[in-house]
This record gives sequence, structure tokens and C-alpha cells, in this order.
Amino acid sequence: MRNRGRTAFIITYLAPAVLIYAVFVIWPVLQAFGFSMFKWSGLSQNKKFVGFDNFKQLFHDKIFWVSLLHNAWIFLFGGSIILLVGLGIAHAMQGEGKFTKALRSVYLFPNIMSLVVVAVLWQFIYNPRMGLLNSFIELFGKQKQRFDMLGTPGTALPGVIITFIWYAAGFYIMLFAAGIRQIPEEVVEASKLDGAQGFVRFKKITLPLLWSVGRISLVYLVINTLNVFALVFLMTTGGPDRKTEVMLTYLYEQAFVNSDYGAATALAVANFVIVMAVSGLILRITRKNPVGEVR
Amino acid sequence: MIKRTFAALAVLAAIGFSVVGCGDGGSSKTSDNSGGGGTANGKDLEVISFSGGYGIDFFEKAAKEYEAKHPGTHITVSGSPRSWEQLRPRFANGTPPGLTWPGWGMDYWALIYDNQVLPFDDALATPAADGKTVWKDTFEPSMLKLGQYNGKQYEMPYHYNVLGWWYDPGVFKKHGWTVPKTFDELLALSAKIKAAGIAPITYQGKYPAYMIQGFLFPWAGSIGGIEALDDAQSLKPGAWKSPAFLKAAQMIKQLNDAGFFEDGANGIDHTESQMEFLQGKAAMIPCGTWLFSEMSKTMPPGAGMAFMLPPVADGGKGDPGMIQIGIEPWIIPTKGSNHDLAIDFYKYMTSLEKAKQFVEEKGTLMAVKGSDTAKLPEHLKEPARLFRESKAVYAIEYDQWYAKFGDEVKNAMTSLLNGSKTPEEFVQTCEDEAEKIRQDKSKPIHVMTR
Repeated sequence: MRNRGRTAFIITYLAPAVLIYAVFVIWPVLQAFGFSMFKWSGLSQNKKFVGFDNFKQLFHDKIFWVSLLHNAWIFLFGGSIILLVGLGIAHAMQGEGKFTKALRSVYLFPNIMSLVVVAVLWQFIYNPRMGLLNSFIELFGKQKQRFDMLGTPGTALPGVIITFIWYAAGFYIMLFAAGIRQIPEEVVEASKLDGAQGFVRFKKITLPLLWSVGRISLVYLVINTLNVFALVFLMTTGGPDRKTEVMLTYLYEQAFVNSDYGAATALAVANFVIVMAVSGLILRITRKNPVGEVR
Repeated sequence: MIKRTFAALAVLAAIGFSVVGCGDGGSSKTSDNSGGGGTANGKDLEVISFSGGYGIDFFEKAAKEYEAKHPGTHITVSGSPRSWEQLRPRFANGTPPGLTWPGWGMDYWALIYDNQVLPFDDALATPAADGKTVWKDTFEPSMLKLGQYNGKQYEMPYHYNVLGWWYDPGVFKKHGWTVPKTFDELLALSAKIKAAGIAPITYQGKYPAYMIQGFLFPWAGSIGGIEALDDAQSLKPGAWKSPAFLKAAQMIKQLNDAGFFEDGANGIDHTESQMEFLQGKAAMIPCGTWLFSEMSKTMPPGAGMAFMLPPVADGGKGDPGMIQIGIEPWIIPTKGSNHDLAIDFYKYMTSLEKAKQFVEEKGTLMAVKGSDTAKLPEHLKEPARLFRESKAVYAIEYDQWYAKFGDEVKNAMTSLLNGSKTPEEFVQTCEDEAEKIRQDKSKPIHVMTR
């Protein structure tokens, strides 16, 4: 009797959340899985069931693999730099100097800006006709040709990655800073008494105790870099000649330019599976703290 | 206990799904009712229009006038600069408006293939707004042709653009330059312009469609004749790597290598490059007749613009008066309400009187015959004359028929301009991509006829 009352109580409290989650999250996801099995322009109610054809087509689509590779570059280069910079700045911010205080007040600034503003701002910086970058380069002497960061095949993706790092780093600095602040003072004190200094203490104490924060950061980075869209779309639309194409800009093109909703949702499903798989893999690889648990 | 809790949650989730399911069913039912030119209220019409440089005020005013002439009718006009985004879910839901100008971002042909667009043929055989002329005869035939498929008229022209190059007559006069008519003259003039510290040509590098419209097609047409362009657009095997297209690509490279394009043009967008031109930093720019309305608000004092045909290739077999146009089509969705009212209102909008008003108020040319007798703004006089006198009129349509192919040609053009593709590689890429479309049996191939 008591148990039944408890069950009713739990259901009453969980029901609204479950309902909202089912309607707004689970159902659209299931719908997307469904649409990926159809040939559909997204412009009418005429859908034709094609089974796994959209996936077969995707598997043989060179542009998809190129896009995935670009996502991987953003994760590997952007992600590594963000982790290093994040950790370094978070560590540096623990002091009480004037510079530290100033840093603390501005580090999250890019992250709270609208992504649209960030993209426009960096487009201005890179603009070959009036950008800051070219003005800076010209300080070292007149160039034969203006440098077109986003219009040159070899530098467009690095240009986007630099902007991504500038935008996203603040969030990871915040994560690491919070993690460092959680390290018990007595552990730090004890390590000092034991003679651990500078990098040794960072390696033996700070890093192992930040392991779980690092894991979470990595998973966030996987999600953010494999799902990057607005920044690339606004800065380059995937160009020049697909040199910055990522999965979601290609998805947008398939859905809204090529009117191939089936192919676009198949790509969305593939993106979902890849994000889940890579996140799962990272969680598994990083399951064990290599330095061992610090108690 | 836990099992029971989960079972209960599963039931709740199932209820959730069924609620969503009901929602879907409801919406499709609604769409069925309003579909097929339903007659919920034969006097109501919803119009959705692209709201770009010309706004929607003209159409709103026309709606008010029409309502006054036809008591009891009620026409609502709304618009947005990204109207196609507003329209996509409406089409997908089966609840589109009665009449629409969806704007440049809409895939018109996907709608047509999906039977979402009503053919105008029956209506075109009826009298126009003046009650005398057959409606079809009031339009420029070359513009009507652009909206036809399988012998039926799906898209209706309204205003149209002439595409070519622009120069500032003041700047040319000041330096004693004359407008180049041939490519050799262009090369000679460009050297002089460059020596004067001005970039001879700038372009909208972020949007390679402008360079295809402004350089590739005019020159390929000038070399191989309009047939070379028709063959390419009809995806005839080998047409994209024909000598005409290869030579056109080589001409682009020649200008690039000579440094006659503005430095950094690949990285700037349409408004930036057009501003460079208006500020006198570049002498010429490819663009359509929308240039004036797009830039009029930010035009520096003293700047001017005049239309010129792209200089023709020396010794080419194309008609030197060949001209490129583009229409901004209106459509009647099959599932929109009140087709008759939609047709009648569109007849009113395309009457000679309204067409002339549109030309004068909005500063653009209209597809309605005789509308160019309106008081044309200065920048439109030359394109209107050239169109009137031209015996070879064409439009770039392949990128609307085959969006993906269009993207790949644009990408290849970017690579040609930034030097990562040679002219030979450029035409080969275009041909390879055309072959992919020929192999793709899911969409029909359009064949151009003259």
C-alpha cells in the first residue's frame, strides 16, 4: 500500500518531464530515423520509401567523407589547443595578481557572445580588403598580394579553427578552473610538504585530480566539433570549393538547397551515430586515470 | 517496484507519442481540406512574397486596389527576406498560400516535379486584365519560356533582370577611357586602368555565381555561340568541356594572371565588392540590373553606374548583342486556396498599367510587353535598349534545374579564380559533375530548344 503511494508520487512528479521529453526530443529523433528511409523533397507530402538507399548513397558520397575529415581536423587541432589553453589558463588563474583578476573577468567573454557576432567579427578580421589581419601583415612590409585567409584553400579551415578556439576556449577554462578549485587544499599542502613543486605538482596532483573534468571536456568537444554548423556556415558556407565543408553544412545543403530531405536526415542519423560512438569510445579509453586514483 | 515505475513511465511515454501522432493526423486532415484549390471562402487570398530590395509595399497597394474594385474579396500580403524558409513547412504541410513569389532560395523545380505548382496554361488563354488581349500575349515570350516544363507554364515571370557589367561613366570620362567592346580592348584598357592605380575589375568572390554569370557564360557564348550555352545547360556530353568553355575559362585565368582582378576579390561578398566599385577602387564589375536598388542607399556622393555588355571574345561566332536575363517567378501552389482569385489578382498585377508603375516605382524592368515605355530610370535605359535589340537572349537555368550540379560548378569557379584549378581542370570538373547528373535517373534532364 505504502509502495503504491510512493509509485504514484514518483509518476506524478516525473510525468510532465517525461511527456515533454518524449514529445520534443524522442519523437523528433524517431521521426528523423524514419525520414532517412524515404526519398523526400521536404516540399510536399509525397514520400517514397527507399529503405537504406539514402545510407548507401551517403556511404559512397565523397563530400560526406571530406566533411567528416574536416570535422575531425577541427576536433583534433581545435580540441587539443582548447584543452591545452584551457588547462593552462585555468591553472594560471588560480593566483591573486592583477593580471589574473583581469583574465578572470574576460576569459568567458567570447563564449557569451552570439555565434553570429563572432562569425561576423572574425570575417572582418580576415577580410582581405579591410581586415585587421592584412593591416597587421602590412606592418612588416607591403605584400605582393593581400592575404585571403578564408578564400585560400589551404588556410580557410585553419581560419575557422582559430575562430572556433577563440570562441569556445572560455567554456573549457571555466570547467578546468572549477575543477582546480575543487582540489582539496590539504592535498595541495601535503604535496608541497613532500617537496612537489611546479610541473611535478601539476603532473602528480592537479592533472590526476582533474581527470574527470578532462573526460567531460573531451566529450563536450566531440559534441561541439562534430556538430559545428553556424560558425562555418556564416564564415565560409563550406567553401572555398568545400575546403571547410563540415557534416552539418552539407546536411543543410542537402535539405535546403538540393531538396533531398531523405539524404539530409540520413546524414543526421549518421552524425548522431558518429557522435555517440566517438563519445562512448573516449569515455571508455579514458575510463582509467593513468596516474591512478588520488585519494 | 522499480519495474512497475518503469512500466508506468513507458505508458506515459506511449500516451505522449499518441498525442503527437494525433497532432500529425490533425494537420494532414486540415491540409486535405484546403488542398486542390479548395473553396473554403472563394473571396480570400493569401499572398506571400519575397521581401528584398523592392519590398512588398507595391503588392500590398495592389491588393488594396483590387479589393476596392472587387468588393467582398480579401487579400492578405505578407513577406520576408527569407520567404522560402517560411514557405517550406507550408508546402510540406500541404497548406501553402494561394499565390507566391517564393524568392531566390526556393527550389522551384523540386516543387514542380512534386506536382505542387499549378500550370497557368488555361488561364493564359483567357483575356488579360484589359479584357481584350489574350493574357499570354501580354508577356515577353522569351521570359514565359523560362517557366515552362514539359510544354506547360508553371512559373510566371514578373520583373526581370538583365545581367552584364557596370562601369562608372564619370570615372571613365575623367581618365579618357572608352568602354571596351572586345576582349583585346579589355586587356588594353585594363593595363591603363591598372597603371592609374585602380583595379580594372572586381567581383563578388564569395558568391561564384556572379563570375559564372559575368565571365564564363558570356565568353563561352561569345566564342561558341548561344548553342554552346544551350548544349551545356542541356547537359549534352562534352558540352561543359567544349572549346568554347575551355577558352572562356582561359580568358578568366588570363585576366587573373595579369592582375586585372581586384586583389582580394575572392574573399569579399556582393555588397563589399559593389562598394569597392562605387568608391572608385575598381573600374568595372559584373552584376544584374538590381545593382542600383541594392546599392542606392549606400552609394557614395558623385558615384555613377552605367551598364555595358561583357566584352566579346575576338573572332568568336556568338552574336555580339547576346544578352543574359533572369526572371523572378511567381507561382500558384496546387494546394493553395482559390486558384481563380489568385489568377485574377496576378492578372491585375501584370496589367500594363501596374507593370509600368512597378518599373517607375521600383526601378526594374518588367516582363510585360510595352512596360518599357514607362519613364525608365537612367541606369535601366541601356539594358532595356540592349534587350529590345538583342536577337540572342538566354538565361542561366541549369543551377536551378540541378542545384547540386550548380554548386559544383560554383565551387570549381572558386578554384579557378584562386588558382587551385587550371582551366583544363575546371572544365573537366564541370563535365564530370554533368555526367553525374546524366547518370542520376531520379530527376528529369531539361533540353533547351530555340
